[in-house]
Amino acid sequence: MLKIEHVTKYYGDFKAVDDLSFEVQDGEIFGLLGVNGAGKTTTFRMIMKLLDDYEGKITLDGKEIDYNITNKIGFLTEERSLLTKLTVKEQILFYGHLKDMKEEDILKKLDYWLDRFDISQYKNKKIKELSKGNQQKIQFISAIINNPKLLILDEPFSGLDPLNVELFKKVILEFKEKGSIIIFSSHRMDHVEMFCEKLVILLKGKSVLEGYIKDIKKQYRKKNIVVKGDLDKDKILKIDGVVNYEKNANESIIKIEDESKIENVFAYISKCKNITKFVVEEPSLNEIFIEKVGEAYEK
Amino acid sequence: MKNKLLYLTGQSLKKKIKSKWFLVVNILLVILIIGLINIDSVINAFGGKFNEEKEILVIDNTKTSYQILDNTLKENSKMVEDSSKYHLTNYEKSLKEAKEEVKKDDKILVILDEDKENYMNATIISNSYIDTLLYQILASSINSTKEVVALNKSSIDINELTNVNKPIEIKREFLDEEKNEAGENMEMIMSTVFPIVILPFFMLSIFLVQMIGAEVNDEKTTRGMEIIISNVSPKTHFFSKIIAGNAFVLIQGLILVLAFIIGLIVRGMIGAKSIVSAEIFDLSGLINALTNSGIMDKLGYIIPLTLILLLLGFLAYSLIAGILASMTTNIEDYQQIQTPIIIISLLAYYLSMMAAMFNGSIFIRIMSYIPLISCLLSPALLVMGQIGIIDVLISIGIMGFTIYLLIKYGLKIYKVGILNYSSSKLWKKMFKAIKEK
Repeated sequence: MLKIEHVTKYYGDFKAVDDLSFEVQDGEIFGLLGVNGAGKTTTFRMIMKLLDDYEGKITLDGKEIDYNITNKIGFLTEERSLLTKLTVKEQILFYGHLKDMKEEDILKKLDYWLDRFDISQYKNKKIKELSKGNQQKIQFISAIINNPKLLILDEPFSGLDPLNVELFKKVILEFKEKGSIIIFSSHRMDHVEMFCEKLVILLKGKSVLEGYIKDIKKQYRKKNIVVKGDLDKDKILKIDGVVNYEKNANESIIKIEDESKIENVFAYISKCKNITKFVVEEPSLNEIFIEKVGEAYEK
Repeated sequence: MKNKLLYLTGQSLKKKIKSKWFLVVNILLVILIIGLINIDSVINAFGGKFNEEKEILVIDNTKTSYQILDNTLKENSKMVEDSSKYHLTNYEKSLKEAKEEVKKDDKILVILDEDKENYMNATIISNSYIDTLLYQILASSINSTKEVVALNKSSIDINELTNVNKPIEIKREFLDEEKNEAGENMEMIMSTVFPIVILPFFMLSIFLVQMIGAEVNDEKTTRGMEIIISNVSPKTHFFSKIIAGNAFVLIQGLILVLAFIIGLIVRGMIGAKSIVSAEIFDLSGLINALTNSGIMDKLGYIIPLTLILLLLGFLAYSLIAGILASMTTNIEDYQQIQTPIIIISLLAYYLSMMAAMFNGSIFIRIMSYIPLISCLLSPALLVMGQIGIIDVLISIGIMGFTIYLLIKYGLKIYKVGILNYSSSKLWKKMFKAIKEK
């Protein structure tokens, strides 16, 4: 289990992380979200022991993180962290050795993962000669080569096409199944929603929302009603409990205060013509994120 | 962590040595050094007009000067070890025929005429330019001939004349019993030779500064540094770069020394003889001079002290390079920040060269204690006899203390700087890092 307890980090007078606490159990995927400069990278750096002058405590399986523990951690940084003059094989050997792995073991695993990601032909190519997507695959392999107990993924899908995103997802879920703790950060809320059971949203270093996604959504009272048909925007906005109305190419999305207002909307829609769809949906994580972060900004 | 230090050091060293440029550059260097040591043999092997005997035709209208000119020319040529290159012929045919021969065979014609006021005048005729050395020897010999002719006409006894022409014997005495003439000559030679000997070490220190800076920046700019530092401590990373960098320049230095030794062996095998008269280029002559001067006895402490200072110098330069590289965010910034270090190294080298010109200078002596400068200047002054062992030991002590401070405070800077990607408030961050316990 990864445990972050009341962690605070200052850069000079600037408070980058403010009394942050959360726990991630084995086999859980945890989302660490926030706008740029919210404190995500600082949190990752503290977990990775890159920063050690902070208040609070960070433990993995009850032990404070040191250079023996980091051997069990895999870290995929948002920006490329590959030594581009090396070949793929040299790069993975280099990072593998830094994790105290044996060369034989590294090479065996490298062959497996290169084959799995369908890039075996690049084994002896220099990293700078690879495409952005293939470089991301190498970066991902370097993060998982040591079968990490804790896997930190900062924007893992950057530069990937949809097919490779699927491949990455599959591998990440395999690690979850094996019991790895996975911390995931992305600006793509659909990815977070797809993966994470639990999350924390940071703003200016402080947690503004945390918990299991299903609970967060449950607590978030507002719902969306998706309707297909001929609607009058002005009349809908006058219905009691309707907060917002949006129309895209094919559908209209009516945002209501809570579940009790569904009937009011339904009463109106049933009188309209050409209605082919009426679905009540949970709000997306993106909406919750924008609203929560927006509220906190205003405060 | 010890294994990781060994691994990182090995990797860093392997990366440099396995580079194809290392191989190419060193093959070229070895060939160049061997070639330079044997440059006279190389020049001789290709041949050319420089090696041909030049015939000088003399039309002696005075009827008495030819033999004198022949003797003085031989004497003068011997002084510059150039006697084999010319020979005189007393030409008795017409001037027209002589000129034709000069034009056809590139000979030189000297016409000696009587002159009532100046005893003698001479005309030198050649088809093209004459090389400077030959012209000077010839002019000097003609002047000497004129003096002999003049003295002859003044009815001076031949023995007296010989004595007049004999070079003066200068006796040299030293009040300090430890000094001798050979030592004095050696000091003059070493003041010229030593800067040449330390030139490779000066170049290696510059190379070391640039190499460490480039390597640290390379890892930093790709953000590979975050992965590395999350697995090894900044201290381990720092020392791996320092050890690998120093090991590399030592290997490079060793290759240069080996190339020099091979060059000497080749020279011995081909039995080369210097075509240049200056003693500093005549290696066998130089070794003889070194032996006679008694400096060989002093090499027992000069070499170890010089080596210690050079090694400490390399270490200090590499520590500064590592610290500065950690503070910069890209190689362009590093190029700028390293400039003062390069200038200090240059200053050390120039002061070592100038030390002979300013024998006894207090400024140069003080500078020989300054860390980074002392590694080149102190051994130079020791070789020239301007400072003693105690002074060098003081320089070593100061350098050692500087290295201790660089490690103590430099590591704090490195730890903060290595993961710093912003140049804003850089110096403030670094000073804050130094102050931290």
